[in-house]
Amino acid sequence: MSWGYFIRRLLAVFLVLAIVTFAVFAITTMLPGNAAIMILGEYATPDAVAALEKQLHLDQPWYAQYLSWVAGILHGDFGTSLRLSLPVTQVVGEAFVNSAMLGATALVAVTITAIPLGALAALKRGTGMDLGLGLFSYLGTALPEFVTATLLLVFFAAPQHGLFPAGGFVAPWEDLGGFGAHVVLPAATLGLVLMAHISRQVRSEMSEVLSSDYIRAARLKGLTERRVIRRHALPNSLAPAIAVISLDIGYLLGGIIVVEEIFAWPGLGRLLIYALENRDLPVIQAVTLLLAAVYALSNLLSDIVIALLDPRVRYA
Amino acid sequence: MTLQTMSQDVIATAEKPALSIIDYSLSYKTANGLISALKNIDLTIPKGKTVGLVGESGSGKSSMAWSVMRYLPPNAVETGGAIRLAGEELLDQTPFQMADIRGRRMSMVFQDPSTSLNPTIRLGEQIAEVLMRHRGLTKAQAWAEAEVALARTGITRPKEMLQRFPHEASGGEKQRVVIATAFACEPELIIFDEPTTALDILTARQILDLFNQLRDETNVSALYISHDLGLVSRVVDEVSVLHKGVIVERGLVGEVFAKPSAPYTKQLIGAVPNPDRWIGVDAPTDPKTLIKLDGIGVHYGAPSKIQKMFWPEDAEKVGFWGAKDVNFEVRKGELLGVVGESGSGKSTIAKVLVGLQDFQGNLEIEGKTIGSRKAIDRAYRRRVQIVFQHPDASLNPRQKIGRIIARPLKLYGVVPREKIKARIAELLEMVRLPAEYADRYPHQLSGGEKQRVAIARAFAAEPELVICDEVTAALDVSVQAAVAELLVKLQKDTGAACVFITHDLNLIRQLAHRIAVMHHGKLVDFFDRPDARSQDRDPYTKALLDAVPVHTPVEAFEIA
Repeated sequence: MSWGYFIRRLLAVFLVLAIVTFAVFAITTMLPGNAAIMILGEYATPDAVAALEKQLHLDQPWYAQYLSWVAGILHGDFGTSLRLSLPVTQVVGEAFVNSAMLGATALVAVTITAIPLGALAALKRGTGMDLGLGLFSYLGTALPEFVTATLLLVFFAAPQHGLFPAGGFVAPWEDLGGFGAHVVLPAATLGLVLMAHISRQVRSEMSEVLSSDYIRAARLKGLTERRVIRRHALPNSLAPAIAVISLDIGYLLGGIIVVEEIFAWPGLGRLLIYALENRDLPVIQAVTLLLAAVYALSNLLSDIVIALLDPRVRYA
Repeated sequence: MTLQTMSQDVIATAEKPALSIIDYSLSYKTANGLISALKNIDLTIPKGKTVGLVGESGSGKSSMAWSVMRYLPPNAVETGGAIRLAGEELLDQTPFQMADIRGRRMSMVFQDPSTSLNPTIRLGEQIAEVLMRHRGLTKAQAWAEAEVALARTGITRPKEMLQRFPHEASGGEKQRVVIATAFACEPELIIFDEPTTALDILTARQILDLFNQLRDETNVSALYISHDLGLVSRVVDEVSVLHKGVIVERGLVGEVFAKPSAPYTKQLIGAVPNPDRWIGVDAPTDPKTLIKLDGIGVHYGAPSKIQKMFWPEDAEKVGFWGAKDVNFEVRKGELLGVVGESGSGKSTIAKVLVGLQDFQGNLEIEGKTIGSRKAIDRAYRRRVQIVFQHPDASLNPRQKIGRIIARPLKLYGVVPREKIKARIAELLEMVRLPAEYADRYPHQLSGGEKQRVAIARAFAAEPELVICDEVTAALDVSVQAAVAELLVKLQKDTGAACVFITHDLNLIRQLAHRIAVMHHGKLVDFFDRPDARSQDRDPYTKALLDAVPVHTPVEAFEIA
């Protein structure tokens, strides 16, 4: 891969993040309504409001506030949580690790099931298996998370059989088995929608590749079916699927907020909802920025993987 | 028939022809019932010989190739006959056995090397995998062997080529890789399916020479499938002419060419463009300039602002000149041929002339100077019309033919509203289509008919210049001849000038008064038609003329 390509993509990511910091700041600070009054409530005394404004630097012009905020971020300092009286970095950091474990479990599970399923559907096109997978996919995409979550809870976490705990969290470094039991249902909820989406994508790509001239040529060279599929067809179907997976990470980030709330998973989603309810501005800003950064970086990563899979992209 | 089968069997045991197809029939199951694709085909390829199978699109020639390779779609129904490879029945082989035969005992070279090679796998691996599969070589041995195979096809630095990906090689180089792969396991039979159709004239010529050379070296037997009788006459010993699934004529190539017996063969040979048979309109007696191109240049692919900012030295290299400093003039009523290979800039010039492309330099139309695309006005657009290569892409599939042709009539107010319907009928008649076609959709028409509609649309605006951009390239030979004649007739009737863009040198020499030759975006030669063979032609023009297949029956006979 050429370095120019990588550097251009990296620069684009930084540009996006710079714009995001501004947007996040603008939404939380520049919109009408005084943050101090919003926090203290409408019956707050003017003195208390003035004191809080000073603490939040709301008495300074907006660009000074923005610059000091960005300068803080560059030093790894997101300020102090207004409600928890803890450094934002610490609060968000813990939640981020928890969410990342949930998201990664869901993503890995989806990737290792959806890609083979999609490829299988393409190979068995028009058969009962293809139709069954298709139906399952449509159901998966059509049902929102809170419905799948409820269904999963009813069937797998109801007290009478209690296969899995209905909610909560155990850190894997404390009890790996406990973590596993707790992660299954939320990860499955997140994964079902994505699995449907990704397996559809792989199926349509794979069908297209399978009907291409070069697959016909490979078969007419007498290659074994195994090699035709694994070496010629599958890698070429994956590049677009990976682009979709990285876009789906954005969807995953949205889904995580709902799922964490339902399963009481102490991650970014729950933290964000808590911060929003309590108008904890520094935490809201930090979480929003972090979610945007994860999204931008995962796109960068997918661009790199696609470039590795398809040599034609490397020079584009 | 039994007698014939028996005699074939006798031959098979005596000298075992490389391939014998005996009384073979094939149909396809469709929603409208069985459709017959091949009927009672008999074809024998003696060892070391090349047999040509010639037919137009839909004749069943590709079905024949798939039958031999045992690679038929699921809806294919074989209704009898035998296909034998060196006496061995292929119809009885299991798919597993066939996979072993393919690539080892018989292989195939495809039409378009840019689609038949996997874009994400290095060329070396694509050759080596066949050797690993069929000759059990290790990876290192196979790559070494692949290098030898590639060197045989005339690639100058084979080792380097093995490391490349398909998009890093030219069309000719890719086809050499495909050919090297086909020859790699020294098969008994190779099927060539239009191996030069997708290539440029000069490259096609080289591939043809390569084929002849490899055939002499290896003594392979080959089935050569093509729509082009003239081209086939250069490479095959015997030829079979296929028409609607039936072999209508067979014999030594020279004899078929010199004394065709079947009416269809006669028609096919008659339709092949003969550069010595002039069919164009008379040249304008008093040449007057209609449009002058003055220093026309088109640059594709400008660098982005970010590139200019961060990588200024790269930014200068971005893009290329689609056309550079092109000067010529089109005269009233003439037919000007523009020839060149793909990427030579001939279509760029067409787009400039109709105002679809930003350009540098000036266009002059009867003394009026136009300095940019934006300066092109409605009056100019009406005077200059275009017909594109693919009627499928240039006709709106959701509009009826009548509406398609009515569009320029309404746009330019050519005829009063109430007369539009009558005018559509007239225009359809001009292009020799029935007036009822106005109520049909494009997909209900054949390729040739669709192109006639596109021509009718261009002439509806009553233009002074019609640009024809490869209008016959996507059509069969016999249809192509009819379309060319139609254009000439329309020119005679309307007096419009025509810029005819093509890569077919034989065709253009039948039609054009003057010929412009383009190469890498530059105009390299410009001459009156009779001077095509004169000594002071540009070397590139000479090379192109030497590369085109000989079509006149007499010459073909001499070669054979």
